[in-house]
Amino acid sequence: MRNHRTHHLVWLLYLAPALIMYSLFMAYPLLDSLRLSFFTGNNPATRVYVGFGNFEKLFTDPQISQRYWSAFFNTWVFFLIHLVVQNGLGILFAVMLTFDTMKARHVYQTIIFIPTTFAVLITGYLWKLMLNPVWSGDFFVSIGLPFLRHPWLGDTKTALIAVSLVSCWQWLGIPTMMFVAALRNISVELLEAALLEGAGNCKTFFLIKLPLIKPVVGIIAVLTFVNNFNAFDIVFAMTNVNGAPEYATDLIGTLFYRYGIAGQHPIGIPDAGLGSAIAVITLLLLLCVVIPTLKKTQKGGA
Amino acid sequence: MKRLNVVLVSLALLCLMLPITAQPARETSTKAVTLTMGSWRTDDVEQMNRLLSEYKKIAPDVTIRFQPTNPPDYNATLRLQLDSNTGPDLMYARSYGAGLELFNAGYFADCTDIPGLMDNFSASNLAPWQTADGRMFAVPFAAVSHGVYYNKDIFRKEGLGIPNTWEDFLALCTTLKSRGYTPLANGLADEWDILETFFFGLLPNYVGTADQRVRYESGELKLNDRNFVAAYQAMADVAQFCPRGFESVTYNDSQVLFNSQRAVMFVDGSWTAGVYKDASFEWGIFAIPAPKGKHTAICFHPDMAITMNTKTKHPEEAKAFLAWLCTEQGATTASKNLPSGYFPMIKFPIKLENLHANEFLALNAGKETDARFVWPKLMHLYAPMNQAVIRVMKGQISAQAAADSVQALR
Repeated sequence: MRNHRTHHLVWLLYLAPALIMYSLFMAYPLLDSLRLSFFTGNNPATRVYVGFGNFEKLFTDPQISQRYWSAFFNTWVFFLIHLVVQNGLGILFAVMLTFDTMKARHVYQTIIFIPTTFAVLITGYLWKLMLNPVWSGDFFVSIGLPFLRHPWLGDTKTALIAVSLVSCWQWLGIPTMMFVAALRNISVELLEAALLEGAGNCKTFFLIKLPLIKPVVGIIAVLTFVNNFNAFDIVFAMTNVNGAPEYATDLIGTLFYRYGIAGQHPIGIPDAGLGSAIAVITLLLLLCVVIPTLKKTQKGGA
Repeated sequence: MKRLNVVLVSLALLCLMLPITAQPARETSTKAVTLTMGSWRTDDVEQMNRLLSEYKKIAPDVTIRFQPTNPPDYNATLRLQLDSNTGPDLMYARSYGAGLELFNAGYFADCTDIPGLMDNFSASNLAPWQTADGRMFAVPFAAVSHGVYYNKDIFRKEGLGIPNTWEDFLALCTTLKSRGYTPLANGLADEWDILETFFFGLLPNYVGTADQRVRYESGELKLNDRNFVAAYQAMADVAQFCPRGFESVTYNDSQVLFNSQRAVMFVDGSWTAGVYKDASFEWGIFAIPAPKGKHTAICFHPDMAITMNTKTKHPEEAKAFLAWLCTEQGATTASKNLPSGYFPMIKFPIKLENLHANEFLALNAGKETDARFVWPKLMHLYAPMNQAVIRVMKGQISAQAAADSVQALR
């Protein structure tokens, strides 16, 4: 009996560090921001309970709701570009990298993976310079590509796409590596059997490889969704915290930062309640999409 | 067991040593005081440290450490520090609403009774840091000005002169452009600069200064009247003289363009004057000229003040520093060590040493001046006005539509 009890306590002891860290730095702030979304005011001493007031303000105040829906829409575009371009290229490169006939595989793997190890701020600033016609325009003209001399980040039509593609370029290595790992897990017998049956590369890919890596596709889709719905840094580095030009690159992440943390320039008075309301809605949205996606892809594949 | 003894003995010895080592430290701490000063001027560390070391000669026991944060993050960082009671003892205070909010929240001390404050500053220089009932929440420190930086070498080479009217200015730009130069370095990517330096810089030429501004603030005059439309039109007119691809030119890009002589003029604030001190060419500043028939006025903006934390552990020392800034000696020392492009606001006649700083200050002579238009009362229109200016410069909307879009939100 006594032994049993100490046994339990020991279990807890091993769990404690992670549990304490997680609750202190993840669970508590998460729950506290839920609480904060029902209050207004920045000073803890004078905070006032406003019920659903912040949510109401977010969706009924014409200026704030206009900003929210624009950021909401932009975030979806930003995510979808990642889903298609980043993950599509990820699968393509992974399939190429796992071909038996592929030479110098490690070189390509490194090239694809290296950008993910750079700081977003640095790649963001570098791309910002490269996409700026004032600095790169003459170069593009000299190599005979004058149509590339365009203020990509200053044009409302191209800014969001440009920012998304830079982010895709940077993070492409992650899905590629995961797909490579998944493809390598497929047993050789299956592929040999397919080959013997006369299946070509395309057929093997769509009928054998893709169904077998479906769980990984699902996980990556979910990760892409979660990461990009919280995106902030790339916009901060490449355009600005207002999502210039004219809020064309304003994402939920930058909107949240402006309202909840930094406040609007030049006054800079944040509204923690309104910021938390934005965060709570984002959380609910993420849950609504993530849970069904995981259920669907993980059951089928496992 | 033996090992345990050794540990115990050494622990005991350590304990004995503690009071010995702690004693002198405690003794000095009763006398010497270290204060921290928060600021958004990361560029001014050198100058501020000089100023603060001057102060140390007067108050040898007080060390003030200058701890600036990145300008766009200053308000947010300061707020976080103040909310968590880790704020600096002394700090820069923004003018008008942004500063007032922190005073009302109980973070900025009431400075009204600091000796010299109410006497040595003019009413208009006190106003930006004053509450409605006349209390002061900071000691005015420095103002900034706005104007056109121009490359004297190129002007001389091309035989061009300083324009006296806005029409002359546009003609000058046309001439420069026709001779293959980029007339203006300004861009739109960072958004704030085109509004704060250019639009608010030229606005007093069109809508007048404080006496007219209050009529706009009260709603008596409309923000889409003839004068405002003309001001937006002026912005639309200069767009063609900005660098090719100015839509994605940032504030830093503009500085580099001017500094590397790839652009001839740059409409900017006086705070940048220090950036070009090593420029390989001669440069000067002229006022943004008013259109024919109007008087050129200057946007001379009260920018920085210094205040103290209500929760500081050393209120006496902090207060003494602020009082020093209100004396003639203190203000003179401060002004000498102010970064170039920042101008003292105190009443005493103070001679600046920097050539370009004096050039900037000379623009005020015989002209009316005013703060940036929206700062005193209409700060909620900052972002809409910023977007209106950008859209008008990109040619997406007319000047009338730009003015209307701001008036609609008033």
